[in-house]
Amino acid sequence: MKSFSDWIRQPGLLNAVPVGLFLLVGFAGPLVLVLLYSFMPPKTFTLNQVPTLENYLSVVTQSYYISFGWSLMLAVITVALLLVITYPIAYGMTKLFNRWATLITILVALPLLISENIRLFGWVLLLLKNGVIDGSLQYLLGVSLSGLLYTVPAVVLGLVYVYLPFMLFPLVIGMSMVPDSLKEAASDLGASRLQIFWEVELPLSMPGILIGSLLVFILSLGSLAESKILGGQVIVMIADDIESAFTFAQNWPKGSVLSVLLITLSLVIIFFLFRNIDLDRLVGRR
Amino acid sequence: MNEVPLGFLELRGVTKQFGEFTALDDVNLSISEGEFFTLVGPSGSGKTTLIRILVGMDSPTSGDIALRGDVINDVPANRRPTCMVFQNLALFPHKTVGQNVEFAMKIAGVAASTRRERALELLELLRLPADFYSKRINQCSGGERQRIALARALAFDPEILFFDEPLSALDFRLRKTLEKELKDIHRETGKTFVYITHSLEEAMVMSDRIGILNHGKLIQIGSPDDIYNRPLNKFVAQFMGEVNTLAVDKAGTGKVKDSTTGSMYEITESGQEFESGFMIIRPEVMKIGNAADALPNRIQGVLFNDYALGSRIQYQVRSADGENHWLVERLQDDPFSGNAGEPVTIGWRAEDSILVPS
Amino acid sequence: MKSLLQRKVVRALIVVWTLTVLLFLYMPMMAVVMASFTKQRYFRFPVNAWDTRWYEKAFESLSVRDLFWTSFSVALLVTILSVVLAFFGALAFARYDWKGRKMYQRIILLPIFFPQAVLGLALLLWFSSLGITTSWHTAVFAHMIWILPIVTLIMSIQVYSFDPVWEEAAYDLGASRLQVLREITLPILSPGIISGAVFAFLLSWGNFPLSLFTTGADQTIPEWLYSKMVSGYTPMVPTLGSLTMGGAAGFLLIAFLIVLAVRRLRAGKPD
Repeated sequence: MKSFSDWIRQPGLLNAVPVGLFLLVGFAGPLVLVLLYSFMPPKTFTLNQVPTLENYLSVVTQSYYISFGWSLMLAVITVALLLVITYPIAYGMTKLFNRWATLITILVALPLLISENIRLFGWVLLLLKNGVIDGSLQYLLGVSLSGLLYTVPAVVLGLVYVYLPFMLFPLVIGMSMVPDSLKEAASDLGASRLQIFWEVELPLSMPGILIGSLLVFILSLGSLAESKILGGQVIVMIADDIESAFTFAQNWPKGSVLSVLLITLSLVIIFFLFRNIDLDRLVGRR
Repeated sequence: MNEVPLGFLELRGVTKQFGEFTALDDVNLSISEGEFFTLVGPSGSGKTTLIRILVGMDSPTSGDIALRGDVINDVPANRRPTCMVFQNLALFPHKTVGQNVEFAMKIAGVAASTRRERALELLELLRLPADFYSKRINQCSGGERQRIALARALAFDPEILFFDEPLSALDFRLRKTLEKELKDIHRETGKTFVYITHSLEEAMVMSDRIGILNHGKLIQIGSPDDIYNRPLNKFVAQFMGEVNTLAVDKAGTGKVKDSTTGSMYEITESGQEFESGFMIIRPEVMKIGNAADALPNRIQGVLFNDYALGSRIQYQVRSADGENHWLVERLQDDPFSGNAGEPVTIGWRAEDSILVPS
Repeated sequence: MKSLLQRKVVRALIVVWTLTVLLFLYMPMMAVVMASFTKQRYFRFPVNAWDTRWYEKAFESLSVRDLFWTSFSVALLVTILSVVLAFFGALAFARYDWKGRKMYQRIILLPIFFPQAVLGLALLLWFSSLGITTSWHTAVFAHMIWILPIVTLIMSIQVYSFDPVWEEAAYDLGASRLQVLREITLPILSPGIISGAVFAFLLSWGNFPLSLFTTGADQTIPEWLYSKMVSGYTPMVPTLGSLTMGGAAGFLLIAFLIVLAVRRLRAGKPD
């Protein structure tokens, strides 16, 4: 038992105890509870029932694949769009902007401190019938674009808008870890600019691209406000279904099953994400 | 001449173990008041462990540390009247130079005006202009930081000042300057300095006495002269720098025999028992060419390379039997005129042979 | 020099693109502020009449005052508790090397990237199973699940650059453990602590998905805004939205000024 007593006395472990305990009670606890409820018969509010797989079966047979499908599809589209949108900016921030890069970082990060539903409401005002975009077009050109809000593209716009920093920053970190000397060496060895991009820059900044993509993917997958505020009733995303199962339908086991499915998917991705990052290097830069 | 005054700081059988690993093995040492004592050892020799124990950051597994006869094993670092200049100096980045120097006095509750006065005195002692008082640490150069760290330690007015290789990160010239300054400060303050370093050369410049540490054991304690001219074993002899080493056996009065080739060499008897071991000859006492002709110990060989070492030139000679490579050094303004590939004679005086047991 | 010209064109394109995206990020917020100053009951663009009466109404309204105090109390408590706990959490994250640290670092990150709405619902389930009535107190707890890890991460960045030898040096110079904490550890880590606190406050102040399921009968401003947004337009939405944004900006500005002042004070005179 000597090794255990040594381990328990480590100052690092002692300092980890408060946060660890807190997350145990506030994070692990609820998740385990959700998992347990997913095995209870439908519409029960206690855990002392005989466990059953009924909920899992009903989720598969009912039309929940639609909301899962929408969520997955929108998450993929969001990731793809954000890669295209942020790659040039990340390139600029690491290679061209020099000291302006700090200002851009701050400007991109600041909106994260504003409630996301206020920012999404801004889009409502922009896309609304007689809103900023429609109104300007009517005023200037006499054409009307009134059907912008409450559409699938509007939801995608909201997702792209809200999660842009989560793609941009990992890309910037990933790219800044590619030393310029490697590119110079490649160019010295006769590689063209396109070849340098494919052979050197892209593979080496891959960790950043991967982290950003996975991050945006799981965040979009579990999003709620974007589809509610900008999508109206056109689509139902998975978080929507979970919410209504828990609240309106008062069917905790059903909500739990859907949560378990979403959580499992997210955790698999997060696990994959963690395998690819060295936190000491990323956070501490050492 | 090995007589040491009553131990001011005394270590008795100090041993430190980390699990299975023995970092310090039965270290016995007595340091007298006002002495500049340097502990020298390669990395991993246990010198950092030893100094941490002396300062009170760590405690020995067994053995005692006594200051003026009182055992201080259990006195924590902040209660010991000793103080250390750290390897990376550990200057507080959020405080000005003045605040750094005054830190110990602030802790001790000294009035602000007295603190300032004393800090300015110390800056002057360390040849730092008074306007450094309000500078920030990151505005100071490497050499200036060394002096600030020393001033901060002196402000504590410790009975013993410890140094953990503080000069190791500096460039050669600055290091040389600071080594001399440190020796001056030692004389001016009259405090006891205990210094650790991996450089025997650095130790030679500054110290009254030197202790050589290897694998947690104190191998030899002595004056710089002792260490240089009378090394106790091959490790100490080789630690100083490149030397010619030959495995030999005693072969009658004033003679030793090369253990592999059987060649005989003359030595001067030191009165110490010697059966077999190593003969050490430093490159700078070796002679080459005509100068070697009249010497009792001679070797025929072929010159095959020469290297400029700054103030000296080093010649590498392969012995005719091909068994050994010999190093010979001459002053740069007195070069040897032979060419590589030519046969040469090299030699040394009997009294320049240093014998150490194996 | 064709490639030089090419490079200049690419450069210009990237700059233009970056500025466009920045505009894209701020346009909705500008729209909200603009809408809050219109006179009409229903938003119409171009705006033909400006007014500040919605602000007057907001300042007079007692329910708005309640919303504000709820949001503020939650954010303040979250900040204080998170900073204290995250201080130790960050030491474990970045300072000490211990068995299990890699695992701990990953566990800390999990809640940050976890779908917040699902987390909120899971907490709702957790509270009702434990027989705890949800109110703004439970929302504090819920916010902390997400914010505590973020604050820990932010403080860790500072802790990584902290050299424990500073503490040893102070201790060696006669300082007690408490004096070491007060004179060395806390001041050197203070930038990290302050940024952690700023993030904690603002993230809690603006949080919506966690509040939605955990405040019970109480309501924070983002929740109220959401309920109005989905149930139809009212001019109070842009007004309160602008006020929260203004509050966040003001808070950030004050925090920034405090940091500047502290830095100047420290550089100026000996203590």
